[in-house]
Amino acid sequence: MNKTIKKIIRHIVLALLAFIWLIPIIWLFVTTFSTQKGINTNHFFPDHWTLDNYYQLFFKPDAAANFPAWFANSMIIGVCCCIVSSLFVTMTAYAFSCLDFKGRKQLMSFSLILGMFPGVLSMIAMYFVLKLLGLSDSIVGLIILYSGASGLGYLVLKGFFDTIPISLHEAARLEGASEATIFTRIVLPLSKPMIVYTIINSFLTPWMDFVLARLMIKSKNSADWTMAIGLFNLLQRALVNQYFTIFCCGGLMIAVPISILFIMTQKFYVEGVTGGAVKG
Amino acid sequence: MSLFTSFKLEKDVNMGSFFKNIGNSLKEFGVAVAKGDIWVKLSLIIMGAGYFGRKQIARGILMTLLQCGVIASLVTVFFPYMAKLNTLGTVQREEIFDIVTMKKTVNDYDNSLLILLYGIIGILIIVAFIALYISNIRAVYREQKMQENGEHLNTFSEDLVSFKNENFHITLLTLPSIGVLLINIIPILFMVCIAFTNYDENHQPPTYLFTWVGIKNFISLFTNSQTITFGYAFVRVLVWTLVWAIIATATTFFGGILLAQFINHEHTMGKGLWRTLFVITIGIPQFVTLLLISKMFGDYGIVNTWCADVGILDFFKNIGLLGPGAACIPFLSKPGWAHVTIILVNIWVGIPYQMLIATGILMNIPTDQIESARIDGANKFQIFWKITMPYVMFITGPSLIQSVIQNINNFNVIYLLTYNYTTTDMALANSNAKEVDLLITWLFRLTNEYSNFKMASVIGIITFVICASLSLLTFSRMIGGDKEGIYR
Repeated sequence: MNKTIKKIIRHIVLALLAFIWLIPIIWLFVTTFSTQKGINTNHFFPDHWTLDNYYQLFFKPDAAANFPAWFANSMIIGVCCCIVSSLFVTMTAYAFSCLDFKGRKQLMSFSLILGMFPGVLSMIAMYFVLKLLGLSDSIVGLIILYSGASGLGYLVLKGFFDTIPISLHEAARLEGASEATIFTRIVLPLSKPMIVYTIINSFLTPWMDFVLARLMIKSKNSADWTMAIGLFNLLQRALVNQYFTIFCCGGLMIAVPISILFIMTQKFYVEGVTGGAVKG
Repeated sequence: MSLFTSFKLEKDVNMGSFFKNIGNSLKEFGVAVAKGDIWVKLSLIIMGAGYFGRKQIARGILMTLLQCGVIASLVTVFFPYMAKLNTLGTVQREEIFDIVTMKKTVNDYDNSLLILLYGIIGILIIVAFIALYISNIRAVYREQKMQENGEHLNTFSEDLVSFKNENFHITLLTLPSIGVLLINIIPILFMVCIAFTNYDENHQPPTYLFTWVGIKNFISLFTNSQTITFGYAFVRVLVWTLVWAIIATATTFFGGILLAQFINHEHTMGKGLWRTLFVITIGIPQFVTLLLISKMFGDYGIVNTWCADVGILDFFKNIGLLGPGAACIPFLSKPGWAHVTIILVNIWVGIPYQMLIATGILMNIPTDQIESARIDGANKFQIFWKITMPYVMFITGPSLIQSVIQNINNFNVIYLLTYNYTTTDMALANSNAKEVDLLITWLFRLTNEYSNFKMASVIGIITFVICASLSLLTFSRMIGGDKEGIYR
């Protein structure tokens, strides 16, 4: 009997915690249906419910809220970065994990030191460079910035490659396989879950980023913006009373694909973050 | 096996051996010049000559073309800028309206930004070229030796094949390295230089010039006078940054482990469901959730309405936390209040991540230890504190320092929650800082809103020094500690 009560209490506590964690999400969700355009400060749930906000979000873009353009921009940036960064990360991780060459350790130490500089600082300099090249405010510039230095994020994947038995490499070498063949035919297929994790991560980094876009995009034309800048702009004092529900709709819309990806790949995520460490 | 031994050898690499390497290659260079045949000596002038002499035509052509390209670009593009590096330009931009042609003409002005940028790139090219030049002579001399000993010299196609085999690392690393060089290294060098100039809103190219000022900016970061209040602001921002980083890391770390432990408990039903509920919050980008929360906790936000309705506002007034005239609880608009709110919100943000990570670790805890402890009569708390926690700490210990560093640079939580915050402290406002600013958000706003690039660079360098010295604590474990080979 005592055990049952304990069990019930345990679940009530969990439910309470989960509820606290979900309050903002629920608020985001219900506000999307509100007829009141600004922030409803009196009631948690909207007074009147409607679907108009979604209609406005998708089909009636205006100068302030141009969601279709933002979504397209962010999507293009995300997909391009996803391709380039996944390649760079995989290549770097493999070279540092499975190949032996002169200066390997020094390069790794150097990359660690580089990672300690505040990223914002180098991005400020890149802003000048892109401006000189006429690429500021452009999607191309953002893609270059997001994906160019992505090779530095190799650590997690390297930790995984480290766990692949060295005997596999040696066996393949004895069979006469070149290093390139070992990479593409043996190591890559063995690391599928981690590669999937890397790909998703490379997509989500630009998709969820705010600071870099804020530094780079100075354009006043809302069609040039990414999702992050566009939604941030909707909360300006002058706009928030007209567009708060639109902000919520947009926020929910970008969250849906990510949430699905996350829930599907939760397992990879757990393995990915701890993959290198757990074996230690 | 060879891999293992070479790991051990490289373990002792340090700065001393770096200079030793340079010394060695210079020595070999001297030997090569002294003892090399005519082709090696010709390579001193035409870098491909040594390869032509040994009938490696393609290699020779490539090397010579590279040499010509580098020299041509240096002379035509980089030298004019590098010559002005010492002053960063002297001719200011002037527009003259010509009455005859009715057009504006601009004089041939200097652009300090371009001079600095091209200067840095030019220096890097020269350094790289010298290294290439020396290693080229050494390689050519090595080929001479090999020919004298009657060894086989690689043909061009064999060279190409080697990029799939023993030189595969070059194939893999070239593109990522170029990316890092262009996007990361050159900008960092550039910004480090900016810290020693007077580049701010009054000295913005192309209209105005900026120039070197030595360590003046570093001095003003520590000065506190009538006009310069950076010293005042810096101490406050630094203290809050460190306090924040430690509290934020500790709360989310322990909270995450406790939550994971709670969910993983044998009596909990529907573990996956609970985990998913918490993970949903990660699924929404931070710029959405944090902006939303900043609106919820705003002075006239919904949380304040609740607090007034339930009586929390009056309660705070009664116990003296708020003045009697306060109309709302200043969750994000007064120092102190804002600091607490930020940390609480960060717990909300951070615990689901930590919970996921901790779950992965807890699942891998060797159960035999827990089992034997239980047989020996240990209770749950003893098991948690004596077995689970040491195990988790052993694995995540080094990464804790990493997450302190991440929190020092945690831009999103601070900026998105407090972008509307206005400080009432005039000394802080004078140096464009706020009570809730971290070094990183201060740096960001200095550039993005006030174009004060020189001070932003100084703060960036300080941030780097802090992060780097923290990392030194774990450096030996991450690089020196030779763990990677053990588990194979």
